Amino acid sequence: MVVRLGQTVTKNLEYTAEIFLMLYLALRAGVRDQAQSFRSIYQVISAQVYFTGFQALPLISMLALASGVMVILQSSSQLNLLGGAGMIGKLLVAIVVREMAPLMTALVVIARSGTAVASEIGNMRANREIEALESLGINPMSFIVFPRLVGGIVSVVCLAIYFVVISLLGGFLLTKLIHGMPFQFYADSLSQAVASEDLGLFLLKNVFSGMIIFSVCCYQGLSVQRSPTEVPVATTQAVVKSILYVVVFNISVSTLFYLNQLMTLGVL
Amino acid sequence: MTSPKIEKLRFENVSFKFDGQDPVFENVDFDFPMNQMVWVKAEHGSGRSTLLQILAALQMPTKGNYLINDANVGEMSFEEFLPYRLAIGYGFDMGGLIHNRTLFENLILPLNYHKVLSPQEAGERVTHYMREFNLTKYKDQRPSFMPGGAKKLACLLRAVILHPQMVLLDDPTVGLPQDTALKFFDLLETLRKEGSLKHAFVSSFDEKFMGLIENTEIFIEGGLLHALPEMDEKKVVSL
Repeated sequence: MVVRLGQTVTKNLEYTAEIFLMLYLALRAGVRDQAQSFRSIYQVISAQVYFTGFQALPLISMLALASGVMVILQSSSQLNLLGGAGMIGKLLVAIVVREMAPLMTALVVIARSGTAVASEIGNMRANREIEALESLGINPMSFIVFPRLVGGIVSVVCLAIYFVVISLLGGFLLTKLIHGMPFQFYADSLSQAVASEDLGLFLLKNVFSGMIIFSVCCYQGLSVQRSPTEVPVATTQAVVKSILYVVVFNISVSTLFYLNQLMTLGVL
Repeated sequence: MTSPKIEKLRFENVSFKFDGQDPVFENVDFDFPMNQMVWVKAEHGSGRSTLLQILAALQMPTKGNYLINDANVGEMSFEEFLPYRLAIGYGFDMGGLIHNRTLFENLILPLNYHKVLSPQEAGERVTHYMREFNLTKYKDQRPSFMPGGAKKLACLLRAVILHPQMVLLDDPTVGLPQDTALKFFDLLETLRKEGSLKHAFVSSFDEKFMGLIENTEIFIEGGLLHALPEMDEKKVVSL
């Protein structure tokens, strides 16, 4: 039992180290590759932003709207009963901005784009396209991985911002049909609740989620050796590992954030 | 970027094996013939493609050193090997074309990426080759929509598009009509006469076709490389 646990931990640590190594090589190659002009990777970055960001807008809109309605409806009715309606802004920032937007956006991106990236790169490996790029003196780390990472991170951050806007604004508008909450009251409550540390936490979570998702998916795609039959396995692994890493990262950051807040308040 | 002149290729105690498989090469010491068309011969699965991949630094020996001009390739980073890489053209036996790019984009990619020529000159070179080999009708098509022979030819043309000093061609005649294959070898001859191409390594089972081309032979057997002595005397023709 202990041996198996040890083996699992070692295996995961090795995997994480390999992901970090690939990330380092991709960023280094992307920055240092003198042959590669911005123009040559601009096409890949813009395509990644289009597929990951723009095409995910309808799904994100639906999820954001549903989340916004549920959270605003539930919290405002409960807070009204308890006489703390003014707390709605704080509650929304804590739930939507800090937690739901980063996690929901990451899950949507994993499901839509993580799978696409892993299978695309896996197929490129199986078709020997990666090898061909190398033979042409084109570093796959800077030509394949780097633009997907940049495009992916930009998309995740933009989608998360969009999620927050739709969730808070759309959610309010729909809730207004049921509850008669004045917009001025709602806007004041939100603006008083948002602090700079919330924005910091929001950016930290989304930038790193994007990095995690696209690093893991690119790595899994590149792990395909020669056979097309390896591609579905690599894609499944990319989804499972991405979800695992993103969830663990989000929980860890949230926990540290709240521990820090408790320490600031003198509770701990 | 100017490429160094490739003058010497050498294996020093080279061994190679794929994970979980028998060794392909074991303790090979070999000086490769230069300034020639070299025909790499071997039985099926004896390591012809692997040899070309090692020569192109697409695979690294699991043991020993692969030296270009006495410099150990295994100790070079991607960037350090890049000048040599640009002097080596590699033609895949199958696959290798970028599937989300058209034929024209596939051929022009290395020229534009490395800024070897101006965009206009690069376009003219690619258009010229496509016209010469009747590929113009596939110009805007992606590899998945092209017939096998056109894909193979495109792969071979891409190997010489940078006008390299050395070409490594893995089964270049498979899937090509003989007249097209001969036309491609005529192109190699033209590049040689122009002075850009110096060394060519061709792996092939096509005895009939290779018999039409002056070459020297090396043979892979039992995990070792051998130069065929009788061929050294009779068939060696300097490129």
